[in-house]
This record gives sequence, structure tokens and C-alpha cells, in this order.
Amino acid sequence: MTELLVVIVGLGAPGFLLALAVTGASPVLVFLAPLIGAGLAAIAAVLELGVGGSLLAWYVVVAVIANVAVVALWLARVRFPTPADPPWDWSILTLAVVLVALIIPLRALRAELIGWDANSIWLTHALMVSGGHHALVTGLKNPVYLFSNPDYPPLVPAAGALAFALFGRGDLHIAPGTTVLLNACALGVVGTGIAALANGARELTRLGAIAAAGAICLVGFAVAAEFGVNGYTDLLWAAAAVGAVIWGLVLPRSTQALVIAWICAGVATLTKNEGLTTGLALLVLIALRYRPLTLSWVRRLRRRSAGQRFPDVAAWPVTREWAERAAFVVVPALPGLVWAGLIHLLGIGDNFFKSPSPETLVLRAHATIDGMAVHLAVAPVAAAVLVAGCCFLRRDRERARFGTPAWLWLSCLASLLTIFATYVFGGYEIHGWLTYSVNRTTIFAQLLLYAELAIWLVIALDAAFADDRAEQRNATPAAVWLAGGPRS
Amino acid sequence: MIRHTRMPGRVAQDGSSVSAARRHLGRRIGCALIVAAAGVTLGLSVHHGLQTTTTLLRPRAIRQSVVADRQEECIYRAIRSDLPKGAAVYITDQVHIQRLAELSTLWAVPQPTRASARWTIALVPDSSHDPGAHLRWRCYGLALEVQHT
Repeated sequence: MTELLVVIVGLGAPGFLLALAVTGASPVLVFLAPLIGAGLAAIAAVLELGVGGSLLAWYVVVAVIANVAVVALWLARVRFPTPADPPWDWSILTLAVVLVALIIPLRALRAELIGWDANSIWLTHALMVSGGHHALVTGLKNPVYLFSNPDYPPLVPAAGALAFALFGRGDLHIAPGTTVLLNACALGVVGTGIAALANGARELTRLGAIAAAGAICLVGFAVAAEFGVNGYTDLLWAAAAVGAVIWGLVLPRSTQALVIAWICAGVATLTKNEGLTTGLALLVLIALRYRPLTLSWVRRLRRRSAGQRFPDVAAWPVTREWAERAAFVVVPALPGLVWAGLIHLLGIGDNFFKSPSPETLVLRAHATIDGMAVHLAVAPVAAAVLVAGCCFLRRDRERARFGTPAWLWLSCLASLLTIFATYVFGGYEIHGWLTYSVNRTTIFAQLLLYAELAIWLVIALDAAFADDRAEQRNATPAAVWLAGGPRS
Repeated sequence: MIRHTRMPGRVAQDGSSVSAARRHLGRRIGCALIVAAAGVTLGLSVHHGLQTTTTLLRPRAIRQSVVADRQEECIYRAIRSDLPKGAAVYITDQVHIQRLAELSTLWAVPQPTRASARWTIALVPDSSHDPGAHLRWRCYGLALEVQHT
């Protein structure tokens, strides 16, 4: 256990300055720093595969460049417009509750569980990454290792390989143990996001939000069951993606929330292929929320069809808007996209679509719907709460400047549709495939719907505790806080 | 009509206050419903999670996972002990092919065909004995069988 703590601190140290620059002294800092460190390790693994050399050398280079860049920006007095830090007593309480909620399921680390995929995929890849460029390329291209899905992204193997670099390859359990702690960090980002919904609100609402933050961390491990603590990575990408939704699509718009959402989406894209597709979809939605579509281009088209000429200057803002939207999607996903490109260039394929299935698409679709529905039992409750919330608390949500619930439900649908299509068009025998995977591939949707419940819970608590005068206020505390306004 | 009453202001005020009170009551009921539904659902899931953790921490479950873990590490060491580094191996044991390929990583190089291999490896029950096999490591019910081809 001590070794695991050293590994997570070792991952957090290079990410600390970056996290501090983004979050300020907010509780999310503690959980974001190790995720940033793991992201830097993944970038190092991409360079190891694409350029050559070893993970450790590239990790040092990447970490130094990233930290020097932060220090340079700091010296140049360029600051992220971070909101006013929440009061320290509330921050400590939030941190304590979230940490306790995470430690409870983490006790299962005592059992030293290593799941099947943790061995056959993630430990294998961690050993390959720790062996340097040649071992990595030959390993991934070796047809005997096709069972390990060699196209999977490198974040978890890179973190495991760093653990091996610190403590040697004598104790194999350290790599899956690192994954479990990264799962907990991603859930910590989700939990602190839920707590941030009530920043600056009245005390009872804050207490409710902090309780909901603790609950969502426990729920994350409950939804994942043993797959949260046995070295599987499904909870990591799912929790990171839910973190991206909460910070990027729910909390009021701010530079801080946007960058945290980008980091979370980046982690999701570097963790698993499902994470890559879902992360890209989330980044598109975040781009559309922060740079909303306008009808200016429609007006331009109409004018053009009417034979009017415009000066080139008129086209510039529209072009710039689209360039910004594209950058919002591509930049955070760049390492994941580069990895996917390298894998394609090296001719490394995935195992899912290798051979056509003898089953009909209708049969596969039917089985998939049945299989997924079993794990989405929370959806009707979440839908009912959504309807009730829209009927009774829509204005409260708007005043809070929280994103419309449509963003969250669109994210959920996008992920479910991608997974549905993978099952339907994949080559494995469908019933067996669903039996051993659908409980994991739906973790994102389940956790997101539980997060939706927690969000409405906080809004409802705030409304219930509000007195008549407070009901007439124009902006809610979270919006004021994120805009850097006064604390209550 | 309200404009022609003697005290239009009061009537209108009363009417709007009744409607506001209704709205207020509706909101309160809505809040209560949402808090109850969300709270109970989250609570049930938390309870389920705590039960899962308790199950995973039962002594029997821990013993099983510790045995599996030690067996894995034993096979990992057996491969490094019984084969030279960089050995081209063919895994004849189709049941444990993934396990052996994974644990060979960075030491031996698994081959897709027997023709390109210099060694064959397999996991066998540790009670079995093939006179030509090299069985030095016994790992919690399994043994690594190594043969030079």
C-alpha cells in the first residue's frame, strides 16, 4: 500500500503545478494532479511508440516542458481567471468527505485482486511500455498478443510502467493497484464537481452537496463493483468522462471549469477506445456550449444567394469561430488521436471487427438492447427526476447558470449509441460478449445518470431551503463563485 | 372586472398571492419528490457498493485472490528462471495461452507457429510428470512445463 501511495504521489508531483494553475486552491486539485501526471505519462508513451527511446526519458522531458511552461506563464503574469477559492473550511470538509468516501471501497485493495483484463491487457501492455520502444512495437505487432487488444490507448500501461520504473518488476500487483488509485482520483474529480455546484450557497445546501459528493464517489465504485478495484480501466475512463460532463457541460461556464473538463476528456480519450469515442463526443458538446452555433452563417448564405457580395472581413469572425470550435475538440484529444493514428500506421488492428459475425444484425441489436437495459435500471428514475426538475426547478437551474440537462442526456445517448453500434457491428458471438462486458461498458451511462440525480438533488435542496427573498435573487451562488465574485 | 372593484389593488394582490402560494406549494412538493427520489436511489446504490466491498473483503475471498496472485507471480518467476532471455517460445497450452504470453512479456518472445520457436511451454497440473519435461516450478496446483525443440 505504501508503494501505491508513493506511485500516486509520484504521478501527482509533475502534475501539481499544472493543476494548481488551473484550479487554484480548490479541493479538485488533489484529484486532478495525479490524473495530469498519468496524462503526461501517456503522452510520453505516445512519443516512445512514435519516436523511439524509453518511457522514463520521455516522461522527464514532457513533465519538465509542461512545468517550465507553467512557471514561464506565471512569471509572465499570465493567469487563468480562476474563481475565488472557496472558503478553506468548506474546502477541507469537501476534501475530507470525498477522501473518506473513496477510502471505504479502496479497502478492497487488501484483497489484492487482479482481474482477467487487468492481467491479459493492462499488465501485458505495462510490461511492453516499460521495455522501451523496440519491446513496445514488436510486442504490439506480435500476432500472439492480439488477445490483448494492442490498439488500446496507453494511459494505464504508461502509469503502470512508471510504477515498475519506481519499484522494479518484482511485484506485478503494483500496476493494477495504480489503476485502482487512478479510478479513485477520477471519481474524486466527479465528487468535487458535485460539491462545487453549491459553492457559495447557504450552509444547508452546501452540506447536502458535500454529502452528494461523497455519495457519488461510493456510487462510482458500486456501479463498477469488483471492476473498480481489480485493475480494470472501465471506471477510469467512465469517471473521467463524467467529470468532463459535470465541469464542462453542467457547472457555469468559466475558464477553470473548461480546462478541468478538457483534462478529464483527455484522460478518457487516452484510457480506452470507448473513452476515445465518448471523449470526442463530449469535446464536441463542450465546444458547442462554449462557442454556441449562431445563425450568422445562414444569413450569409441567404445574402450570397441574393447576389450580395460581402467583404472578406465579414467572413473572418465566422471562420474564427469554427476554428475555435475545432481547436476545442482537437487540442485536448490530440494525444489520443495521435496514438490512434500511430496504431493505424503500424498496421495494428483491433480484435472486435476482424471477422464478420454469422449472427444477423437484428438478432445482435435485440440482444444488445436487452443486455444494456438490465444495467440501466436507474434511467427511469433519472428521467422522472428530470421531468420533475424541468417542471418545478427549471428557473432555479437557469438562474444558477448550470448547463441545460440536454447536454448531459445527449452525452449519455452518444456513448450508449457508440457502444450499441460496436456490439451490433462487431464480430464476437454477441451473447458471450455481452455477458462479460456490458456491465462495464455501461458504467459511464450509469454513473452519469446517478450524477444527474445528484445535480437535481443539490438544486432541489437549494430551492427547498430558499426563503422568499432568496427565491427572487438573480444569480445563484455557484455562478457568482465561478465568475470570481464575492463569497457568501 | 378587477379594474372596477372598489379596491382593485387588494383584490389583484390577493389573487396573485393565492396563485403565488400555490406555485410555492407546488415547488415545495416538487423539491420534496426530487430529493426523495434522488436521495433514495443514491442511497440504495451506496448500500449496494458497501455490500460489494464487504463481500470482496471476506476472508475466503481474500484467500482465493491471494492464491491466484501468488500463482501468477510464481509462473512469472518460473518463466524467467527456466528460459533464457529472448527465447523464442511456442505456447502449446491453449487453455493458458493468454496467461503464458502475458507473463512471458519482456523475457521470452511468443511465436505464432511452432516452426519459428526454439522452446515450447505449457502449464500442466503439478501432479503430472512427463519424463522429457523440465518441471522445476510448482505453482499452487500448476507447474510450468518447458521443452527444448
